[in-house]
Amino acid sequence: MLTLLLVLPLATPAVLALAPPNLSPRTIASASAFILFVYSLWLLLQFNLTDPGFQFQEYLSWLPVIGLSYSLGLDGLSMPLVVLTALITWVAILCTHEDQPRSRFYYSLIFLSTAGMIGALAAQNLLLFFLFYELEIIPFFFLISIWGTGNHQYAAFKFLLYTAVSGVLILIAFFGVAWTGQGSNFDFSVVDVAHLGWRAKLILLTLVLVGFGIKIPIIPVHTWQPDVYVAASPPVAMLLGGVLAKLGTYGLVRFGLQLFPETWHLVGPGIAIIGSVSVIYGSMSAIAQKDIKRMVAYSSIGHMGYIVVAAAAGTPLSTLGAVAQMIAHGLILALLFHLVGIVEAKAGTRDLDKLNGLMNPVRGLPFTSALLVLAGMASAGIPGLVGFAAELLVFQGSFPIFPIPTIICILSSGLTAVYFVILINRTCFGRLDNQLAYYPKVTWGDRIPAVVLMVLIFALGLQPNWLLRWTETTTTAMVASLQPTNASFSLATVPELSEPLASPPSPF
Amino acid sequence: MQPLIPRSFAVTTATLPKTQLPPSTHPFAEILYRLEAGGAMLPDSPENLKQIIGIYKAYAVPMDFYWRDLLYIAERVFLNPLPFFKYFLPQEYLDLPNHYAGEGADLRVWRGEASAHPELLEFMALGETGKKLPRLFHHLWHDRVNMEFAEACMQAMLWHQNMGGRFNDYMETDEYRANADRAIKAYFKNNPFMLGLYKLFPEMFMEQVKQMSYYSNLGLFWEVMAPVFFEMSDRYDEGTLTSVPEAMQFLVNGIFAVAGRPIYHHVYIGGECYEIIPKSQGFTWLYEAALPYVEAVFYRTAPFRGTKSYNAQAKQVPDRQEDFHYGILYADVFPVGSAGIPPTLLMQDMLHFLPPYLVEYYKNYCRGEDDMLIQLGISFQRSMYCVTSAVIQALRQALFYPLDDPDPRHLAINRQFFEQQLDRFKRPEARILNIQTPDYR
Repeated sequence: MLTLLLVLPLATPAVLALAPPNLSPRTIASASAFILFVYSLWLLLQFNLTDPGFQFQEYLSWLPVIGLSYSLGLDGLSMPLVVLTALITWVAILCTHEDQPRSRFYYSLIFLSTAGMIGALAAQNLLLFFLFYELEIIPFFFLISIWGTGNHQYAAFKFLLYTAVSGVLILIAFFGVAWTGQGSNFDFSVVDVAHLGWRAKLILLTLVLVGFGIKIPIIPVHTWQPDVYVAASPPVAMLLGGVLAKLGTYGLVRFGLQLFPETWHLVGPGIAIIGSVSVIYGSMSAIAQKDIKRMVAYSSIGHMGYIVVAAAAGTPLSTLGAVAQMIAHGLILALLFHLVGIVEAKAGTRDLDKLNGLMNPVRGLPFTSALLVLAGMASAGIPGLVGFAAELLVFQGSFPIFPIPTIICILSSGLTAVYFVILINRTCFGRLDNQLAYYPKVTWGDRIPAVVLMVLIFALGLQPNWLLRWTETTTTAMVASLQPTNASFSLATVPELSEPLASPPSPF
Repeated sequence: MQPLIPRSFAVTTATLPKTQLPPSTHPFAEILYRLEAGGAMLPDSPENLKQIIGIYKAYAVPMDFYWRDLLYIAERVFLNPLPFFKYFLPQEYLDLPNHYAGEGADLRVWRGEASAHPELLEFMALGETGKKLPRLFHHLWHDRVNMEFAEACMQAMLWHQNMGGRFNDYMETDEYRANADRAIKAYFKNNPFMLGLYKLFPEMFMEQVKQMSYYSNLGLFWEVMAPVFFEMSDRYDEGTLTSVPEAMQFLVNGIFAVAGRPIYHHVYIGGECYEIIPKSQGFTWLYEAALPYVEAVFYRTAPFRGTKSYNAQAKQVPDRQEDFHYGILYADVFPVGSAGIPPTLLMQDMLHFLPPYLVEYYKNYCRGEDDMLIQLGISFQRSMYCVTSAVIQALRQALFYPLDDPDPRHLAINRQFFEQQLDRFKRPEARILNIQTPDYR
């Protein structure tokens, strides 16, 4: 079952390469991505909400001599993220223009990166996870360096270096976990850190934190992110921010919180501080930006900080909120990058000092501007939109453990409104410039991806249970083991469940 | 009846001698030279000519409604306190012969018919929807000629002071007040309540009568302009109007031909005519209607709601009416699209009557049919610069010297006059530089 999630994106490049020239690569790619998304939705509907462990498991002994096995499974943490990955991939392809140069190569790279992300989320073996984690570096490097804009070569190499270092640190941590345990077996069901001393656990956890922290990114290892997000084309930026960054937070929860529960308790305050600093830093930097794409990039740093604070708190509510925020942020960020991309494509600039009056109904971009307002509201956590539900869970769950970092996050939520009001006021309102305002029309091909995302943002905002029900059982079980004891724990352990927080699963 | 403007008449740059004056240091020197050569502020090009003639025709059809309804309101509706049906023009006024068109015209400017234009009648019957519905349905759907624009122009003329002429001053005289008093008492003869209100607030009723006088003024002004624009459109279609200077000169000649047309205000109450402003006062079309109209509507007007965020205490609106700069010559057409304010009301009216060649032209630029309102708004702006040029040239011709005067001192006086006129466009809001390029659409 899960293998199909990998086969489809891995096979699509071959189909693209062999397809006849009269068949549009975009059509093939969007059809394949849509099938992948629908399949992931089907898996979601088959998902057992009461089982906190891994489901749809597949196992094949691959290279037992080095402890690498082909072991896949999804739980409440990874299942929604897989669906998000498939969705964002499909939407990113829809956002790509028909006349994209070297389109077959472009779509092939997108599918390879998607395969890497899904594989990492589904992997049940540390080495397999690392393999997939590193797999998507190469496609993204090419996507940024070939189809990026501005200083894209520099950004691509920066991305490569940072994420390579991230991979190295994670690999060292994984080796440490496996080799200090039961031989060289990297399976989730086997890896165990309970026997290690607290110093060893702290060192390994630090490696995990820094490694995944680079990916998220958090302060102070964030400097690659704004350059890369800005240089990447809008569809690639959607994938980077909407999905790839979630691999970082996924790793933080899976290999930090879940694998090192006792040590997590020790480092939690530090992580919360770093998370809240990221939140404030991201918001303040976003306020200072003149480039709207860079503003959105910095806002992403801020919003990822919420996830870090929530994960640091480690309560059932906050962990649930962390996962909810991953999904919410993925949807909202993808929408923001798409809309900013439309503005840049039509108006020819991303400069706040030059953009003006885009809300004009005749000569402006009124539909795009309206969606930009809604996306800004979603990002700021306005009730009724998915951002509010996720942030509320984060704040409510984190406050009892880390009140001050949580208050900082809440204040920063207000700052989000500040920079989005700046963005919308400067770009959407005011007068159109008579010298510049001869913008081409926005077509329905540009609008449909945005509408898809906005419908989901509204739907999940009005009915957040549709977002939370898949995750709650797993996160509750995950944090139940977050006790400062020496109890043995592995990634596959299922401790006693506590009472669910949200209402029982209801029919779709 | 001979047409107003002989086809052979034209002042072209080729017939004027080279200027004897030194180069001008005015920032709009190139435009100045064009004016001195008998041209317009708008450059001469086939594209410009197509735009301005097409828009004159599109403007003239609703204008045919405006002038008739303005006179209907001034003469018949008068002081009706609940004028719910003032835009429902009666057949009598649709059939009212234009004094400058048709077989029986005093001075036949347009070779077409004197009654309401057929395109106007068709639009009034079917509207934009093309369906024959009761007039009230069209009215409530706002599928009609936007008479509110005409009233906004009238209000601009009423409100702005110091625009020259004697019309405004006459309305403060005892004679006018006596005439108005007679008309008011006759109008409300059987209405003791309104008569009592008039006794309590006489100035309020006087103000309303002054407003009605301006309705009449504007109606009589546009009664002339509509056939002028129709004739220009016909000549363009025939191929006898071939350049922007020719179009401008046609307007100049028209101005002089009709300059002496009397401006008056007659009210018809109970079958009797009450002369509130009699023809014997000698108010003429050029000085009491055309020039104040150009000053009030082209140059000054007032900021329209929603287009300007201003703080009067911060002096963001000029203290003096003379410094107002919100007319069509300064308008930024871009942000006002579909705003429902007077300029957009006129733009919507013109959209209904665009000639096919202009529709085809607009389809090729910008967003084609989707932003035709803006494109035609800018064409209208260009056309009004042409009209303003005609007014400037007419004033120069009336007050100063011919363009081909051999005396350099006279030419220098002409230049000084042109420079003074061009000085009004030095402010950044003016569109005079924008219209010099075809890219401004």
